[in-house]
Amino acid sequence: MADAKTARAEWGTRFGFLMAMIGAMVGAGNIWRFPYVMGENGGGAFVLAFLVLLFLLAVPGLMAEVALGRYTNKGVIGAFRDVLGRGGLVGLGVIVLLVNIALMSYYSPLIGWTLYYAVHSLLFTFTATGFEAEPFMETFFANSALMIGLHTVVMGTVAAVLLLGIRRGVERLVVYAVPALVIALAIMTVRGLTLPGASEGIAFTFGVQWGYLFEGSTWIAALGQALFSTGLGWGIALTVGSYLREYDDVPLGGGIFTAIGESSIGILAALAIFPVVFAVGVEPDAGAGLAFVSLVQVFPEIPLGGLVAVLFFVGFFLATFTSGVVITEVSVTTLTEETKYSRKQTVLGVCGLIWLLGIPSAYSADILDYLDFVFGNWGLPLATLAIIGVIGWVLGPERLRLLVVNRNAGIYVGKWWDPVIKYVIPAVMIFIMAYFAWEDFGSPEMIGGMLVIVLFPIIGYGVMSVLEGRGGGPDAADVTGGDD
Amino acid sequence: MVLTAEVIGMLVFTLAAFWGLATWSLVRTMRQEGRKVEILEQQDRMDTYSPEALAELREWIQANPDDPLVDDARRRHNECIEALEETDRRFYDWSDKEIDRLERV
Repeated sequence: MADAKTARAEWGTRFGFLMAMIGAMVGAGNIWRFPYVMGENGGGAFVLAFLVLLFLLAVPGLMAEVALGRYTNKGVIGAFRDVLGRGGLVGLGVIVLLVNIALMSYYSPLIGWTLYYAVHSLLFTFTATGFEAEPFMETFFANSALMIGLHTVVMGTVAAVLLLGIRRGVERLVVYAVPALVIALAIMTVRGLTLPGASEGIAFTFGVQWGYLFEGSTWIAALGQALFSTGLGWGIALTVGSYLREYDDVPLGGGIFTAIGESSIGILAALAIFPVVFAVGVEPDAGAGLAFVSLVQVFPEIPLGGLVAVLFFVGFFLATFTSGVVITEVSVTTLTEETKYSRKQTVLGVCGLIWLLGIPSAYSADILDYLDFVFGNWGLPLATLAIIGVIGWVLGPERLRLLVVNRNAGIYVGKWWDPVIKYVIPAVMIFIMAYFAWEDFGSPEMIGGMLVIVLFPIIGYGVMSVLEGRGGGPDAADVTGGDD
Repeated sequence: MVLTAEVIGMLVFTLAAFWGLATWSLVRTMRQEGRKVEILEQQDRMDTYSPEALAELREWIQANPDDPLVDDARRRHNECIEALEETDRRFYDWSDKEIDRLERV
């Protein structure tokens, strides 16, 4: 039976909360996607579009999500119940939970990739004589047993951190890992910028092609980056916000700092990566091709390349691992509250389930890519729609702003915020889902996405109708976080 | 390759807009946290709303007397006034005149 749940945990320090937000939001996308997307979409023109969308959508959205967690002091399902009352509609929280579990099931094998390359960077494999990047990556991706093994190590390590609780586990990890990532990228930037030919990388990334500002594709790319990179509406900000202390601010730290800070790491990654890539004359790329081929080819060519590889891959691993820990915490927090199991039992159960569900993605990178596309384009926007929709249309943005956002706040948030939450963000989410359905009409990915959009709400509604109807739910299990 | 003024300008703008703003918000929120801790070491509570935010909350309470959350709003509003009246150090920029004019709702 569960051990006693006596008091809900809180972040030990303000810095811990801020680093948890950044650690959760900065992931693979900031490192291997953002720099290339920026360079390919007009450089400076993309930056302007991205900045506008960050302030229009991500900053207000994150404020709302953190505020809901702060107001209810509960995980996703509990927060939805507080707003909607008992009943099947609480199943909207189940959608968020299911999407998070699905997301982590294919993100964990990806963390395994970064772990593998981090270990090899420490062994100076990439600068060894006769090393070839492409065959190395192909051999690695073809080794399913190794992939599953790495996925197992990752989920085991995530569980170990979460077992320690919010303060001693999550907070202690992020307060060191996030600054370490920034320092690693900063050192790599200095190394890159001092190489002959580095200016071409700067020109690729920061050159301004104003014409791109008038192209729809630039705004779609900026929109995707602004929403998916900041993790808006995935339940992460809600969960992290639910552990805030009595006098903590929401809008300055949870909104502005989180959105701009995590994007700043993408900018730093661009400065760290492309000067080095261009200095050596390697073609720029995105995704695994950039991190595991282009960059790996670069390291032997530059002075101190072995050490630069260590900085990059250890930093890359920290970025993905901290995201994995906080994404998993979303389910752990909610299920600890919603069931009679202890945090320890919940951590083991959730991590075990994610491990099991992640085996197909670890076995085959194609399955991982498929799930990434399906959940990236439909699952995650659906979760965002659930959270922001409930805030905008049930709780009401004005109430939330007056009662929570502006209480103990570091900045004052005015009335402009209300229509953004109520109309703009939900409309953008519906647009994204429709846009990608149109773009990929009839494809297996689109069919998978439609199944998620239809089945997840039905499952959520059905499960909560049964559970809430039975009068189930937490008795004394209103407490989570582990260590206080 | 020599970088053009436009590229350098965009680089500087991007660094200022992202790293400048991120650093500003981090420093500001950490300083505010330090001030809150300092205040709470001397007294057991403190003001929770700025003058502008409290005025807006009061207006909303008066305009929505039947709202299901109005009791919670009243409690938060009055709690802030009590803290302002009963403590010496304030977090927000309240003048004595402003505090004297405040009324519970």
